Amino acid sequence: MVNSYDLIIIGGGPAGLSAAIYGGRAKLKTLVINKGTIGGLADTTREIVNYPGYIQVSGPDLMKDFQKHAKHFNVEFLKEEVISVDFSQEDKLIKTKKGKEFSAKAVIVACGSEPRILNIPGEKTLRGSGVAYCATCDAEFFEGEDVVVVGSGDQAIEEGMYITKFARKVTVIVLHDEGILDCNKVSAERAFNNGKMEFIWNSTIEEVLGKENVEGVKIKNIKTGTSSQLICQGIFFFVGMIPSTHFLKDSGLEIEKSGYIPANDRMETNLEGIYAVGDNRVKYLRQVVSAAGDGATAAVAAERYIAELKDFNANILKNDKKILLLFFNVLINESLEFSTLLERLISENGDEYKIFKVDMATKKHLAGKYEIGKVPAVVVLDKGNVIKRLDCSMDKEKLKSQLF
Amino acid sequence: MSLQELDANRFEEIIYDNCEPCLVIFRRKTCHVCKEVVPILEELQPQYEGKFGFYYVDAEEVKSLLQRFSLKGVPQILFFNEGEYRGKLAGKIEEETIEEKIAEVLGA
Repeated sequence: MVNSYDLIIIGGGPAGLSAAIYGGRAKLKTLVINKGTIGGLADTTREIVNYPGYIQVSGPDLMKDFQKHAKHFNVEFLKEEVISVDFSQEDKLIKTKKGKEFSAKAVIVACGSEPRILNIPGEKTLRGSGVAYCATCDAEFFEGEDVVVVGSGDQAIEEGMYITKFARKVTVIVLHDEGILDCNKVSAERAFNNGKMEFIWNSTIEEVLGKENVEGVKIKNIKTGTSSQLICQGIFFFVGMIPSTHFLKDSGLEIEKSGYIPANDRMETNLEGIYAVGDNRVKYLRQVVSAAGDGATAAVAAERYIAELKDFNANILKNDKKILLLFFNVLINESLEFSTLLERLISENGDEYKIFKVDMATKKHLAGKYEIGKVPAVVVLDKGNVIKRLDCSMDKEKLKSQLF
Repeated sequence: MSLQELDANRFEEIIYDNCEPCLVIFRRKTCHVCKEVVPILEELQPQYEGKFGFYYVDAEEVKSLLQRFSLKGVPQILFFNEGEYRGKLAGKIEEETIEEKIAEVLGA
């Protein structure tokens, strides 16, 4: 049996949990499917100092608050991995790894990202034997040793500084020219003043060296092309994240080569009823606060979409009368004038037809469903089936002849 | 079902005295990847009841074991059979990979 919901959110990070709060509050039957621990990437952050209302909070604590808030609004949670979807019908289908199936009127994709793997020799084979991706987890294993950090973003530099609490020395391998780091200025300044941190500029890693354990790295200077070796016992990779959107590859959802999903300011994707938020979409700022904003926006957009869908199914598709779907746009005067004309014509000629006005600006999915390009436009429905499209003439007689 | 914890003594007993076929995950409380892998093991465990043991050790408590197996990082799952070390899996490991490794250890 398929369990059906109004709204299913794939992913339980800040974006997904915020969407859940808004969905639950709007009384949508809402399910969050999340494969790991709740909180996503934020759950791995030791310290968050820029989420409004919290001067300093740990990622896990903040995410627990988010989840508690969502549960307060009766949101359901399921710990599972989504492996395939079918977004081609009005009821969207979702399948999990354990074979459970769910359907939803709307789906919010909020499954976040995962660390990028460079796929250089030694990276995979020496994982856990000196190759690491998480400072909180593994920094203590390198007490008094030499560690290399690859990358210069917020995560690389901040985690790098955390590692200096244990390691003898942390050498940061940076792609850019001397003095340029990708991270925020405060962290950059702190890193430059940290006596245990050193930097190698214009460089990247070619290979992790060692048999049983990491013994060193091969560094390539991208400006001169020369390679050198550096002895170390550990190497931490912080070379960015890639969106975990691969399971959506064949869903018909538009996904960029980089894995990000393009979405508009309502988080709508190219498929109706499907929204992309947080680290899954193409955007400028990737923070907890902006992820939360995305989640709220998507849930409200989904709520309106579901309301329209229900309204449409109840009033239009099951109506006994013939329905005239009249598409208009307040900015196009001709469509307003036509609307007045059509309404007068129908009211003068009995009750065979009922007019249902569709504002193109807000009900885009209906315009899409009936392939309406410009306004005014009229589609005639009988029991939900399209029986005619009108030529929207301003000549009353011409118009009348098409209907009566 | 939660995994049974081993301290250094129990580890010696189970692995080398009893020669039990089993896996031991080395984990830490603060490690978020561990929080993803441990539940996978907890779910797998009942299927192997009586055939293959599932244990965990707290990496902070058993530093001597970390050195013996030259472990630098968590989570890592170590596999044993007949009192011998049969390899390990490190990092974020999928359920299938663990099942394959168990089959390999039991089959060998």
